[in-house]
Amino acid sequence: MKFIQKIAHLIIPRESNNQKAKLLHNSSLTFITFAFILYQLIISFVPRFAPKILGFAANISPDEVVRLTNEKRTQVGLSPLSLNSTLSQAAQAKGADMLNKGYWAHVAPDGAQPWVFFTNFGYKYKYAGENLARDFSSASSAVEAWMNSASHRENILSSKYKEIGIGVIDGNLAGVDTTIIVQFFGTKYADTVPAVPIAEAKAAVAPAASPTPIPLAGQVKILVSPFSVTKSVSLGIVGLLLFVLIIDGILVSKRRIARIAGRTFAHIAFLGMILAIALILKAGKII
Amino acid sequence: MQSISKHLPHYFVLFGLLFAGILAFVLFSYDRAFQMIVAVAVATSYVIWGLVHHSIHRDLYFSVVLEYLAVAALGLVMVFSLILRT
Repeated sequence: MKFIQKIAHLIIPRESNNQKAKLLHNSSLTFITFAFILYQLIISFVPRFAPKILGFAANISPDEVVRLTNEKRTQVGLSPLSLNSTLSQAAQAKGADMLNKGYWAHVAPDGAQPWVFFTNFGYKYKYAGENLARDFSSASSAVEAWMNSASHRENILSSKYKEIGIGVIDGNLAGVDTTIIVQFFGTKYADTVPAVPIAEAKAAVAPAASPTPIPLAGQVKILVSPFSVTKSVSLGIVGLLLFVLIIDGILVSKRRIARIAGRTFAHIAFLGMILAIALILKAGKII
Repeated sequence: MQSISKHLPHYFVLFGLLFAGILAFVLFSYDRAFQMIVAVAVATSYVIWGLVHHSIHRDLYFSVVLEYLAVAALGLVMVFSLILRT
Protein backbone atom coordinates (compact mmCIF):
# COMPACT_ATOMS: atom_id res chain seq x y z
CA MET A 1 0.00 0.00 0.00
CA LYS A 2 2.81 2.33 0.95
CA PHE A 3 4.55 1.50 -2.33
CA ILE A 4 1.44 2.37 -4.36
CA GLN A 5 1.14 5.65 -2.48
CA LYS A 6 4.74 6.46 -3.30
CA ILE A 7 4.22 5.70 -6.98
CA ALA A 8 1.07 7.83 -7.03
CA HIS A 9 3.01 10.63 -5.34
CA LEU A 10 5.58 10.44 -8.14
CA ILE A 11 3.24 10.34 -11.13
CA ILE A 12 -0.19 11.71 -10.17
CA PRO A 13 -1.00 15.30 -9.19
CA ARG A 14 -2.45 15.22 -5.67
CA GLU A 15 -2.36 17.03 -2.37
CA SER A 16 0.83 15.33 -1.19
CA ASN A 17 2.82 16.74 -4.14
CA ASN A 18 1.11 20.13 -4.29
CA GLN A 19 -1.09 19.06 -7.24
CA LYS A 20 1.86 18.31 -9.48
CA ALA A 21 3.43 14.89 -10.04
CA LYS A 22 6.62 14.78 -7.99
CA LEU A 23 8.61 13.62 -11.03
CA LEU A 24 7.76 16.92 -12.72
CA HIS A 25 8.99 19.11 -9.87
CA ASN A 26 12.05 21.21 -10.63
CA SER A 27 14.01 19.35 -7.97
CA SER A 28 13.19 15.98 -9.57
CA LEU A 29 14.06 17.16 -13.10
CA THR A 30 17.37 18.59 -11.83
CA PHE A 31 18.09 15.36 -9.98
CA ILE A 32 17.40 13.30 -13.13
CA THR A 33 19.68 15.59 -15.17
CA PHE A 34 22.60 15.25 -12.75
CA ALA A 35 22.02 11.52 -12.38
CA PHE A 36 22.17 11.22 -16.17
CA ILE A 37 25.43 13.21 -16.28
CA LEU A 38 26.87 10.97 -13.54
CA TYR A 39 25.78 7.90 -15.50
CA GLN A 40 27.54 9.24 -18.58
CA LEU A 41 30.72 9.84 -16.58
CA ILE A 42 30.57 6.30 -15.24
CA ILE A 43 30.21 4.70 -18.67
CA SER A 44 33.01 6.92 -19.95
CA PHE A 45 35.46 6.00 -17.20
CA VAL A 46 34.56 2.39 -16.45
CA PRO A 47 36.31 1.08 -19.60
CA ARG A 48 39.61 2.48 -18.30
CA PHE A 49 39.39 0.34 -15.18
CA ALA A 50 37.41 -2.59 -16.55
CA PRO A 51 38.00 -2.68 -20.30
CA LYS A 52 36.07 -5.94 -20.72
CA ILE A 53 32.80 -4.50 -19.45
CA LEU A 54 32.03 -1.40 -21.44
CA GLY A 55 33.17 -0.56 -24.90
CA PHE A 56 32.05 -1.29 -28.35
CA ALA A 57 32.11 -4.77 -29.75
CA ALA A 58 29.54 -5.71 -32.27
CA ASN A 59 28.20 -9.20 -32.50
CA ILE A 60 29.03 -9.39 -36.20
CA SER A 61 30.42 -12.30 -38.11
CA PRO A 62 32.19 -11.93 -41.47
CA ASP A 63 30.15 -14.85 -42.80
CA GLU A 64 26.96 -12.96 -42.00
CA VAL A 65 28.22 -9.90 -43.88
CA VAL A 66 29.01 -12.11 -46.89
CA ARG A 67 25.63 -13.83 -46.65
CA LEU A 68 23.70 -10.55 -46.50
CA THR A 69 25.78 -9.04 -49.31
CA ASN A 70 25.08 -12.02 -51.53
CA GLU A 71 21.42 -11.89 -50.57
CA LYS A 72 21.26 -8.31 -51.88
CA ARG A 73 22.99 -9.36 -55.08
CA THR A 74 20.76 -12.33 -55.77
CA GLN A 75 17.69 -10.15 -55.17
CA VAL A 76 18.65 -8.12 -58.26
CA GLY A 77 19.65 -11.16 -60.28
CA LEU A 78 23.42 -10.98 -59.81
CA SER A 79 25.60 -13.97 -59.07
CA PRO A 80 26.81 -14.29 -55.45
CA LEU A 81 30.40 -13.39 -54.59
CA SER A 82 32.71 -16.10 -53.35
CA LEU A 83 34.60 -15.55 -50.13
CA ASN A 84 38.33 -15.24 -50.80
CA SER A 85 40.59 -15.79 -47.79
CA THR A 86 43.37 -13.65 -49.27
CA LEU A 87 40.94 -10.74 -49.63
CA SER A 88 39.76 -11.30 -46.05
CA GLN A 89 43.36 -11.17 -44.81
CA ALA A 90 43.90 -7.97 -46.79
CA ALA A 91 40.69 -6.49 -45.35
CA GLN A 92 41.76 -7.44 -41.84
CA ALA A 93 45.14 -5.78 -42.46
CA LYS A 94 43.41 -2.60 -43.65
CA GLY A 95 41.31 -2.54 -40.46
CA ALA A 96 44.40 -3.06 -38.31
CA ASP A 97 46.20 -0.31 -40.22
CA MET A 98 43.39 2.16 -39.47
CA LEU A 99 43.53 1.33 -35.76
CA ASN A 100 47.34 1.46 -35.63
CA LYS A 101 47.62 4.76 -37.48
CA GLY A 102 44.42 6.22 -36.02
CA TYR A 103 42.59 7.14 -39.22
CA TRP A 104 39.12 6.52 -40.57
CA ALA A 105 39.37 6.86 -44.34
CA HIS A 106 39.88 4.97 -47.55
CA VAL A 107 43.31 6.51 -48.00
CA ALA A 108 45.86 6.31 -45.16
CA PRO A 109 47.50 9.51 -43.86
CA ASP A 110 50.72 8.43 -45.61
CA GLY A 111 48.82 8.36 -48.90
CA ALA A 112 48.52 4.56 -49.11
CA GLN A 113 45.50 3.59 -51.21
CA PRO A 114 43.27 0.65 -50.19
CA TRP A 115 44.49 -1.28 -53.22
CA VAL A 116 47.94 -1.52 -51.66
CA PHE A 117 46.50 -4.08 -49.24
CA PHE A 118 45.24 -6.16 -52.17
CA THR A 119 48.65 -6.33 -53.81
CA ASN A 120 50.53 -6.73 -50.50
CA PHE A 121 48.71 -10.03 -50.03
CA GLY A 122 49.37 -11.09 -53.61
CA TYR A 123 45.88 -10.46 -54.91
CA LYS A 124 46.34 -9.27 -58.49
CA TYR A 125 43.08 -7.58 -59.30
CA LYS A 126 41.41 -6.36 -62.41
CA TYR A 127 38.65 -4.69 -60.44
CA ALA A 128 38.77 -3.77 -56.75
CA GLY A 129 36.48 -1.93 -54.37
CA GLU A 130 36.25 -1.14 -50.69
CA ASN A 131 33.39 -0.45 -48.29
CA LEU A 132 34.05 0.61 -44.70
CA ALA A 133 31.75 0.71 -41.66
CA ARG A 134 32.19 1.26 -37.95
CA ASP A 135 30.11 1.23 -34.76
CA PHE A 136 27.33 -0.93 -36.13
CA SER A 137 25.81 -3.39 -33.68
CA SER A 138 24.89 -5.97 -36.30
CA ALA A 139 25.87 -7.11 -39.78
CA SER A 140 22.40 -6.35 -41.11
CA SER A 141 22.46 -2.72 -39.91
CA ALA A 142 25.86 -2.20 -41.60
CA VAL A 143 24.77 -3.81 -44.87
CA GLU A 144 21.52 -1.80 -44.82
CA ALA A 145 23.49 1.41 -44.30
CA TRP A 146 25.67 0.57 -47.30
CA MET A 147 22.61 -0.22 -49.39
CA ASN A 148 21.18 3.19 -48.51
CA SER A 149 24.29 4.92 -49.87
CA ALA A 150 24.56 5.12 -53.66
CA SER A 151 28.34 4.59 -53.89
CA HIS A 152 28.39 1.70 -51.41
CA ARG A 153 25.37 0.12 -53.00
CA GLU A 154 27.15 0.36 -56.35
CA ASN A 155 30.00 -1.72 -54.94
CA ILE A 156 27.69 -4.34 -53.45
CA LEU A 157 25.65 -4.64 -56.64
CA SER A 158 28.50 -4.44 -59.15
CA SER A 159 28.61 -7.21 -61.71
CA LYS A 160 32.35 -6.59 -62.12
CA TYR A 161 33.22 -8.25 -58.81
CA LYS A 162 33.50 -11.98 -58.37
CA GLU A 163 35.04 -12.26 -54.90
CA ILE A 164 34.69 -10.73 -51.48
CA GLY A 165 36.82 -10.51 -48.35
CA ILE A 166 35.64 -9.29 -44.96
CA GLY A 167 37.71 -8.03 -42.06
CA VAL A 168 36.17 -7.23 -38.68
CA ILE A 169 38.38 -5.74 -36.02
CA ASP A 170 37.76 -4.33 -32.53
CA GLY A 171 39.97 -1.62 -31.16
CA ASN A 172 40.38 1.95 -30.05
CA LEU A 173 40.21 4.45 -32.88
CA ALA A 174 41.25 7.97 -31.86
CA GLY A 175 40.18 7.36 -28.25
CA VAL A 176 36.86 5.66 -29.08
CA ASP A 177 36.29 1.93 -28.64
CA THR A 178 34.89 0.70 -31.89
CA THR A 179 34.43 -2.17 -34.28
CA ILE A 180 35.52 -1.62 -37.86
CA ILE A 181 34.22 -3.65 -40.80
CA VAL A 182 36.29 -3.70 -43.97
CA GLN A 183 34.60 -5.12 -47.04
CA PHE A 184 36.90 -5.75 -49.99
CA PHE A 185 35.56 -6.61 -53.44
CA GLY A 186 37.69 -7.93 -56.22
CA THR A 187 38.05 -9.76 -59.47
CA LYS A 188 41.37 -11.42 -60.14
CA TYR A 189 43.23 -10.25 -63.19
CA ALA A 190 43.72 -13.88 -64.19
CA ASP A 191 39.95 -14.46 -64.16
CA THR A 192 39.38 -11.94 -66.92
CA VAL A 193 40.44 -11.54 -70.52
CA PRO A 194 43.81 -9.81 -70.14
CA ALA A 195 42.86 -6.96 -72.43
CA VAL A 196 42.42 -4.24 -69.85
CA PRO A 197 45.66 -3.02 -68.27
CA ILE A 198 45.97 -2.62 -64.51
CA ALA A 199 45.92 1.16 -64.75
CA GLU A 200 42.55 1.00 -66.44
CA ALA A 201 41.28 -1.42 -63.88
CA LYS A 202 42.29 0.96 -61.12
CA ALA A 203 40.35 3.72 -62.79
CA ALA A 204 37.27 1.51 -62.68
CA VAL A 205 37.57 1.00 -58.96
CA ALA A 206 34.64 2.37 -57.04
CA PRO A 207 35.63 2.97 -53.44
CA ALA A 208 32.67 2.87 -51.17
CA ALA A 209 31.90 2.53 -47.51
CA SER A 210 34.30 0.96 -45.10
CA PRO A 211 32.58 -1.66 -42.90
CA THR A 212 34.18 -3.13 -39.86
CA PRO A 213 35.22 -6.76 -39.91
CA ILE A 214 33.44 -9.07 -37.52
CA PRO A 215 35.54 -10.67 -34.80
CA LEU A 216 36.28 -14.31 -35.41
CA ALA A 217 34.53 -16.92 -33.32
CA GLY A 218 36.18 -17.05 -29.94
CA GLN A 219 37.28 -13.44 -30.17
CA VAL A 220 33.84 -12.02 -29.35
CA LYS A 221 34.00 -9.94 -26.18
CA ILE A 222 31.08 -9.37 -23.83
CA LEU A 223 30.93 -5.64 -24.22
CA VAL A 224 28.12 -3.12 -24.24
CA SER A 225 27.93 -0.27 -26.70
CA PRO A 226 27.95 3.06 -24.75
CA PHE A 227 25.76 4.56 -27.49
CA SER A 228 23.16 1.79 -27.20
CA VAL A 229 22.92 2.01 -23.41
CA THR A 230 22.79 5.83 -23.54
CA LYS A 231 20.03 5.66 -26.14
CA SER A 232 18.04 3.08 -24.17
CA VAL A 233 18.27 5.06 -20.93
CA SER A 234 17.40 8.33 -22.72
CA LEU A 235 14.36 6.76 -24.36
CA GLY A 236 13.31 5.29 -21.01
CA ILE A 237 13.55 8.60 -19.15
CA VAL A 238 11.85 10.65 -21.89
CA GLY A 239 9.14 8.00 -22.27
CA LEU A 240 8.47 8.00 -18.53
CA LEU A 241 8.34 11.81 -18.34
CA LEU A 242 5.99 11.96 -21.34
CA PHE A 243 3.73 9.40 -19.69
CA VAL A 244 3.66 11.37 -16.43
CA LEU A 245 3.13 14.67 -18.28
CA ILE A 246 0.16 13.26 -20.18
CA ILE A 247 -1.43 11.91 -16.98
CA ASP A 248 -0.70 15.22 -15.26
CA GLY A 249 -2.18 17.23 -18.14
CA ILE A 250 -5.36 15.16 -18.27
CA LEU A 251 -5.97 15.21 -14.50
CA VAL A 252 -5.19 18.91 -14.08
CA SER A 253 -7.53 19.76 -16.94
CA LYS A 254 -10.27 17.43 -15.67
CA ARG A 255 -10.08 18.60 -12.06
CA ARG A 256 -9.65 22.25 -13.14
CA ILE A 257 -6.65 22.62 -10.85
CA ALA A 258 -5.22 26.14 -10.78
CA ARG A 259 -1.46 26.12 -10.17
CA ILE A 260 1.69 28.03 -11.00
CA ALA A 261 3.58 25.88 -13.48
CA GLY A 262 4.89 25.66 -17.02
CA ARG A 263 2.63 24.54 -19.84
CA THR A 264 2.32 20.76 -19.78
CA PHE A 265 1.54 20.69 -23.49
CA ALA A 266 4.71 22.66 -24.31
CA HIS A 267 6.81 20.24 -22.22
CA ILE A 268 5.22 17.29 -24.02
CA ALA A 269 6.05 18.89 -27.39
CA PHE A 270 9.68 19.56 -26.38
CA LEU A 271 10.25 16.09 -24.93
CA GLY A 272 8.53 14.64 -27.99
CA MET A 273 11.22 16.32 -30.08
CA ILE A 274 13.94 14.87 -27.84
CA LEU A 275 12.33 11.43 -28.28
CA ALA A 276 12.31 11.87 -32.07
CA ILE A 277 15.98 12.94 -32.09
CA ALA A 278 16.97 9.98 -29.89
CA LEU A 279 15.22 7.65 -32.33
CA ILE A 280 16.78 9.32 -35.38
CA LEU A 281 20.38 9.24 -34.13
CA LYS A 282 22.28 6.16 -35.20
CA ALA A 283 25.73 5.13 -34.13
CA GLY A 284 27.05 3.48 -37.24
CA LYS A 285 29.14 5.29 -39.83
CA ILE A 286 30.08 4.30 -43.33
CA ILE A 287 32.58 5.66 -45.81
CA MET B 1 -7.06 22.27 -23.30
CA GLN B 2 -8.73 25.67 -23.07
CA SER B 3 -5.29 27.19 -22.73
CA ILE B 4 -4.12 25.48 -25.93
CA SER B 5 -6.98 26.78 -28.08
CA LYS B 6 -6.66 30.20 -26.47
CA HIS B 7 -3.01 30.48 -27.43
CA LEU B 8 -3.00 28.53 -30.65
CA PRO B 9 -0.63 30.94 -32.48
CA HIS B 10 1.86 30.54 -29.61
CA TYR B 11 1.82 26.77 -30.02
CA PHE B 12 2.17 27.03 -33.79
CA VAL B 13 5.40 28.96 -33.21
CA LEU B 14 6.62 26.34 -30.72
CA PHE B 15 5.78 23.45 -33.04
CA GLY B 16 7.53 25.27 -35.90
CA LEU B 17 10.69 25.62 -33.79
CA LEU B 18 10.66 22.00 -32.68
CA PHE B 19 9.91 20.68 -36.15
CA ALA B 20 12.75 22.79 -37.60
CA GLY B 21 15.03 21.22 -34.97
CA ILE B 22 14.09 17.67 -35.98
CA LEU B 23 14.46 18.54 -39.68
CA ALA B 24 17.92 20.01 -39.08
CA PHE B 25 18.97 16.82 -37.28
CA VAL B 26 17.89 14.71 -40.22
CA LEU B 27 19.35 16.96 -42.92
CA PHE B 28 22.67 17.52 -41.13
CA SER B 29 23.14 14.00 -39.80
CA TYR B 30 26.71 14.08 -41.14
CA ASP B 31 27.71 17.15 -39.10
CA ARG B 32 27.92 16.53 -35.35
CA ALA B 33 29.04 20.08 -34.52
CA PHE B 34 26.09 21.57 -36.36
CA GLN B 35 23.70 19.15 -34.66
CA MET B 36 25.00 20.33 -31.26
CA ILE B 37 24.49 23.97 -32.27
CA VAL B 38 20.95 23.13 -33.39
CA ALA B 39 20.26 21.40 -30.06
CA VAL B 40 21.41 24.47 -28.09
CA ALA B 41 19.42 26.80 -30.37
CA VAL B 42 16.20 24.78 -30.04
CA ALA B 43 16.54 24.42 -26.24
CA THR B 44 17.20 28.17 -25.90
CA SER B 45 14.25 28.98 -28.18
CA TYR B 46 12.06 26.71 -26.07
CA VAL B 47 12.98 28.54 -22.85
CA ILE B 48 12.47 31.94 -24.53
CA TRP B 49 9.12 30.75 -25.88
CA GLY B 50 8.12 29.82 -22.30
CA LEU B 51 9.19 33.20 -20.94
CA VAL B 52 7.34 35.15 -23.63
CA HIS B 53 4.24 32.96 -23.45
CA HIS B 54 3.92 33.20 -19.66
CA SER B 55 4.78 36.88 -19.73
CA ILE B 56 1.91 37.53 -22.15
CA HIS B 57 -0.32 35.31 -20.04
CA ARG B 58 0.77 37.27 -16.93
CA ASP B 59 1.77 34.17 -14.99
CA LEU B 60 5.54 34.30 -15.28
CA TYR B 61 7.12 33.31 -11.95
CA PHE B 62 10.64 32.33 -11.01
CA SER B 63 9.64 28.69 -10.45
CA VAL B 64 8.14 28.61 -13.97
CA VAL B 65 11.41 29.91 -15.44
CA LEU B 66 13.30 27.21 -13.53
CA GLU B 67 10.89 24.58 -14.82
CA TYR B 68 11.55 25.49 -18.47
CA LEU B 69 15.28 25.60 -17.78
CA ALA B 70 15.18 22.19 -16.06
CA VAL B 71 13.28 20.54 -18.95
CA ALA B 72 15.54 22.19 -21.55
CA ALA B 73 18.71 21.20 -19.66
CA LEU B 74 17.58 17.59 -19.34
CA GLY B 75 16.80 17.39 -23.06
CA LEU B 76 20.07 19.05 -23.97
CA VAL B 77 22.14 16.72 -21.78
CA MET B 78 20.51 13.69 -23.40
CA VAL B 79 20.96 14.93 -26.97
CA PHE B 80 24.59 15.94 -26.32
CA SER B 81 25.33 12.53 -24.76
CA LEU B 82 23.88 10.76 -27.78
CA ILE B 83 25.61 12.98 -30.35
CA LEU B 84 28.99 12.58 -28.64
CA ARG B 85 28.62 8.80 -28.67
CA THR B 86 27.70 8.49 -32.35
